[in-house]
Formats: sequence, C-alpha cells, structure tokens
Amino acid sequence: MTNFLQLVVVGLSSGFAYALVGIGMVLIHRTTGIVNFAQGAFAVMGGLVTATLVDDVPTFLAGLLAVLLVAAVGGAMGFVALGRRGRTTLLASLIITLGLALLTSAVHLLVFTDVPRTYPRISATSWDVGGVTVDPQYVLIACVSLASALLLTFVLRRTIVGNALVACSDSRRAAELVGLSVRSLGVLSFAVSAALGALAGLLIIPLIPLTYDSDVSIAVNGFAAAAFGGLDSIRGALAGGLVLGIAENLVIGYIDPQYQLAIGLVIMLMIISWRSRHEVAT
Amino acid sequence: MTALLEVEGLQVRYGPALAVDGVSLRLEAGERVALIGPNGAGKSSLLNAVCGLVKPAGGQVRIDGDDVTGAAPGAIVRRGVSQVPEGRQVFGTLPVESNLLLGAYGRLFRGELVSATLRYLRGRAETRARLERIYELLPKLRELRERPAGQTSGGEQQMVAIGRALMADPRLLAIDELSLGLAPVVVQDLAAFLRTLNEERGVALLLVEQNAQLAFELCSRAYVLEAGRCVLEGRSAELQRNELVRTAYLGGGLEVVPA
Repeated sequence: MTNFLQLVVVGLSSGFAYALVGIGMVLIHRTTGIVNFAQGAFAVMGGLVTATLVDDVPTFLAGLLAVLLVAAVGGAMGFVALGRRGRTTLLASLIITLGLALLTSAVHLLVFTDVPRTYPRISATSWDVGGVTVDPQYVLIACVSLASALLLTFVLRRTIVGNALVACSDSRRAAELVGLSVRSLGVLSFAVSAALGALAGLLIIPLIPLTYDSDVSIAVNGFAAAAFGGLDSIRGALAGGLVLGIAENLVIGYIDPQYQLAIGLVIMLMIISWRSRHEVAT
Repeated sequence: MTALLEVEGLQVRYGPALAVDGVSLRLEAGERVALIGPNGAGKSSLLNAVCGLVKPAGGQVRIDGDDVTGAAPGAIVRRGVSQVPEGRQVFGTLPVESNLLLGAYGRLFRGELVSATLRYLRGRAETRARLERIYELLPKLRELRERPAGQTSGGEQQMVAIGRALMADPRLLAIDELSLGLAPVVVQDLAAFLRTLNEERGVALLLVEQNAQLAFELCSRAYVLEAGRCVLEGRSAELQRNELVRTAYLGGGLEVVPA
C-alpha cells in the first residue's frame, strides 16, 4: 500500500507538469484552432535555461527570466505559425509548429549540448508522511500548477483580454467582425502557453533532468492530457495530466519503466478513437 | 454629396465560382436599404465583402467616399459600419454583458493588442455609459446580462448580436438574415426596434433578408439579387407592385388574380 501511495505521489508531481503543458495546448487550440507540437520545446527551454542561469543568479530570478524568455520565443513562434490571414490553413500551421519544435531542439543541442541538465530542488530534505516520501519539490509543482490554472481561468472569465481570447474560440468569425485582432490574440495565446510550458519544465527539471530531445515525450504527454478534455477544457487538461502522471508511474513501478512513454500514447489513442466515434454518433 | 456606403462593380469569387458578379449599390446616411433574393444569390457574400471578411475579386467599396476595398473587418468597424452576422454568432460561453463589452473593445484594435487594451481601460467610463444606453434600448439584455449568451433564446441572441454591434457606435448596421430561424412575433419586435433605432438615432440599416415582405416593410429601398447579379432595384413600394418580385418573392404566383 505504501509503495502504491508512493508511486501515486511521484506520479502526481509529473502529472501536474503534464497538466501545465496540456493547459497551454488547450489555450492555443481554443484561441487559434492550432494543435501546437512545439509545446514540449517550451518546457525543455524553460528547464534548460533555468538550470543554466542558476549558476549566476538566484533560483527564483533564474526561473522568472526563463519564463519571460520562453514566453517571448513562444509569441514569436505563434506569429510564424499563424502565417497570413486567410492564406495559412490550420494543417499548415500545425506542420509549422512541428518544424519549429525540431528547430528548437537543434538549437538546444547547440547551446546546451547533449548533457542532461538539472539544478538543486527547493529543499534537500524531504518529508515522511506515513511512510510515503514527499519531496517539497512535489508540493511546489502542485501549488504553482494549481495557482497557474486558477489564475488563467480567472483571466479568461474576468478580464477583457481573457474574454477576447474566449471570444475567438466561441466564434472566430464574430470576433473578427467586431474588430478584434484574432491574430494578436493568437500570438498572445502562444506566449501565455509558452510561459506555462516553461514553468512545467523548470519545476520538473530538478526531479527529472532534461536534455535537448526531451521535448517529444513532454509534448506527447501534454497532448494526451489536453486530449482528455477534448483539447478544449482547462479542467479536463488538469485532470488528464494527473491521471496520466499516476498511470505512468504505476506502470513504471509495477510493470516496466520502458513503457513509460507508451502509456501516454495509448491513452491518447484511446481517447481520440473514443471521441471520434462519439462525435460521429451524435 | 458622397454616400455613406457605395459599392461599385463588386465581384466575390470562391475558387472558380463567382458568388457576386459586378453588383453596385448606394446607401445614404440614415437610410434603410434591403438586399433580397433567393438562397445563394450572393447577398451574404456581398455583405461580407463590404465588412472585410472576404476580399473582393474586383470592384470597389467606398465608405464616405474613401476606398476601403479589401480592408480588414476592424477597419470597417472603425469607419462606422458594423455587421450582425448570419446565425447571430454570439460568443456562446461568455455572459451577455461580456459579449456587449467586446463590441466596444473590438473597435479599439488597430492590429495591436497592448494599445487597444490600454485605450479600452482608459475609456472604461465611456464604455459603461454606452452599455447603459444599450440596456435602455434593449432592457431584456440587462435582465440577461449574467447569462451565457449561448443559453438564451434565438430572439435574445439576435438582440445580443445587435447590441454587440451597436457598442461600436456604428452609423450603419449591416444585418445578415434578421428573421432566420426566429418566430414571426420575435421578428416583428426586432423590426420595430430597428425602425426606432433608425428614426431616433439615425443609424442606417442594410438588411440582407430572404423574407421579402419583411424587407419591404422595414426598408424604403431594396436591391434584388439573383445569381450574383442585381436584377432589380427601387423603392420598396414600387418593387412590391413589380410582377417579377410578386411571383418570385411575395408568393404572388399562388394567387394569380385575373382582373
């Protein structure tokens, strides 16, 4: 039982990171219709940049700078991926994000080499809760993820800019007709999603060292989390991330660590095939 | 004198198909003009080309005499022409009030998010005042202001869409299919509201309508479109007596009455 709980607790920590990546995907998908495959690259960049900066500046500042940098890069990627109004199809945008993900990965290899990077956790000592080891870093990930999800929900509901983002997802046509710049809002959604991805990466990297090519597994897991809520629900992505993180860790603990990534893929395929059947039926 | 809206030889092309093939029209400030015609005649395409949703393949659109052909939708809104789209297209998950506020926010965009938002925040008092005016014009919207727009009736959604367009303070309201999918009673109320809006506030109307009877009642002039061309134009009273219009659009074919 203790072993099971331990696996769940560890799974929750990576689950929150997947959730953050997934929420970013949901935001971009809702605002622009694009499925952003560069979402994993945002997390890797956030992690690697923070791990490098902590040598020179305090950890909090390093993290903040990394988030800002990745948000800017994400906005620029969105600008490229959105292409030209009325000329770039969603499929083209999706392929562009895939290309940008590969490009980013190559840049990471050049800048950070292929050595796995990490930096010290928030605290070296961990707590013992009824035989289950709880690392303070897990708690930090959970708190930051939940706070980000709540903040994002608040912004989308209560601020005019957030409402405008939702408007794009409710009716892109009407959003254009009232004069909203659907393109700027799309770029904004990319920047915000990139910031969320960067947070996921920089929070998880003390637990799981990342390399330039970690982005694929993060993107797959983030997408699986997002697909859990049909790519359109923040709550769904949060739940999806947690389910995925726990399932993955149970597989690692009880079956074989080799199947870690397969879990994400299998869950993703199951959801997609179930949904497509469901949607055809209704 | 230059007209509020002038369309000259407008062409709209979807792939190889010409949806609008050289239509011209003119609308003076404060006028009520209808575009009628069967499904697929090009009425909505014409409206969307005027409002910047589709780029015309040819011809010209002028507002106050200035060429705005192919301008972005936001630029047309800032020129004082707002569209109420076909099927209402409200922002369904957002409350009614947010729908209205976005109508004011949208007008402030010149392609740039940050400055538009700053302008919006600075002008909040004025936006609030305009919102109050809309609530006075359409009191039903005040009752519904907290409700997600998607959870209101068809007629209420049409009010939301009209209110949203009015928040941009337009001089011309272009309405695509006012009556589509709405109960006749609701349509009559909306028509009465639009007439008052026009007479008391001087907002011009360009009404795209399949219901010719309604179009003639509400508008003083009309253009008849068929297969992308304008086949007739004139005062509603005259068009109502026109043999072609009677048979094709007013159900006259069923009541052939020899004298």
